[in-house]
Amino acid sequence: MAKPAVIVVGADKGGVGKTTVSRTLLDYFSANNVLTRAFDTESPRGTLKRFHPDITEIVDMTTTSDQMKIFDTLNAVSPSVTVIDVRAGLLSPALASLRDIGFLDAAKSGQITFAVFHILGPSIASLDEIAETSSFMGGARYFLVKNFINDTQFFQWDQATYNSYFHRIKDATDLVIPKLNEMAYEQVEVASVPFLKFVANKGISDEAANYSFVLRGYVRHWLANVWSEYDRIKLTDIVGSTKPSSRGGEK
Amino acid sequence: MRHTPVYIVCSPRPLVGKTLVARLLSEFLLLKSGEVSAFDVNLKEPSLLEYLPDITETAEVDDTFGKMALMDRVIVDDGVAKVIDLGFHAFDEFFKMTEEIGFVKEAVRRGVVPVVLFVGDTDRVSARSYPTLQRQIPPSSLVTVDNEYIVRGELPQAFSAGKILRIGALPTFLKTYIDRLSFSFTDYLRSEKDSSTELHQWIRRNYFSFRELELSLILQQS
Repeated sequence: MAKPAVIVVGADKGGVGKTTVSRTLLDYFSANNVLTRAFDTESPRGTLKRFHPDITEIVDMTTTSDQMKIFDTLNAVSPSVTVIDVRAGLLSPALASLRDIGFLDAAKSGQITFAVFHILGPSIASLDEIAETSSFMGGARYFLVKNFINDTQFFQWDQATYNSYFHRIKDATDLVIPKLNEMAYEQVEVASVPFLKFVANKGISDEAANYSFVLRGYVRHWLANVWSEYDRIKLTDIVGSTKPSSRGGEK
Repeated sequence: MRHTPVYIVCSPRPLVGKTLVARLLSEFLLLKSGEVSAFDVNLKEPSLLEYLPDITETAEVDDTFGKMALMDRVIVDDGVAKVIDLGFHAFDEFFKMTEEIGFVKEAVRRGVVPVVLFVGDTDRVSARSYPTLQRQIPPSSLVTVDNEYIVRGELPQAFSAGKILRIGALPTFLKTYIDRLSFSFTDYLRSEKDSSTELHQWIRRNYFSFRELELSLILQQS
């Protein structure tokens, strides 16, 4: 049996697209037949749960009981991959808690696979989080996710600023999430379905839907680009899954 | 088996005869089937809408809403042929969009047959744009229009490999005549009793070329 893998998706800054990235991860694992469970820390509302209700549980990560619900069950439940969508402002405290309960040490010793997707927005405030977050990354795979929520350059036009953020952390890997067409994003919001179901023109219960062909095309193209980034970092290998020869939903 | 053709008349260059081809084709389809839907994406050139207002609507590809309004209509296999008169300014954006949304693949899945009529010219912009089309349009659906009035000689080698549809040049006085907004090719065929006139034969030759093109598409589908 593969060792459990925990992927934390988060940022201290709000509005940078944490839940969007979490949704692409759940779709990616679903398409690659990797059993996954998810925790949505946006208690009590839960945006992630709205899109993936069957596999998502809303938790309050600041409480010990919910921390136990997540981490004490890592070996006990069948999905070997756990995705935690950490709400804004809670990434640093959550990592501190994981250090305090010995989770980071377990990751360092190889008992658990631990990856952090640090979602970055196009602002200095967001990039300033990197130094603080990286101090927790001893046993983790650390991904700096440049989420293009607008036409930002992530300060690449100013090499000094860019390098000070992106080339300072030695073991961090950059990931690029391209911008999704705004109307396409909004129609998926209205539909409240996973991106994969939207592309397949299906409703939440797999019933036939009537989404715009153009918007579905944009989502398919965007999702393929996002997934090619996950392929590039060999995400299925990281979580210890053997990748099938062809995945569903990509036809 | 029924298939719905979608003809996209295009060029990255202005004033090469796109609207003329779109007019001819629309009138031919209307004569043949009694029904056609035309879309005018042509804000900066002579407009198909002005010639055929009863069957033409304007369309835009500048924003997502416009793209949805156009493409969600033309992807439907409803048996009604569609003609898109694509202005030169919209060429890049349109084909970037069709590539991104996987238009050709989805069209095949839905029984819609896209046919791109690329109006060739001898300039560098046309030469650069053609490979863009070749990348996403199957050779059987990519037709170069050799408009004699524009090319005045042999088509550039790069366009000559695939299917070619030739439009002969008309004398200037006849060109001026057909450029009048009130002129209809089919009405002319019906009203002009003398079938030996140059214009009569020119229209019939072009209609015959469209008929041949249509037949070749049917044969490919079967």
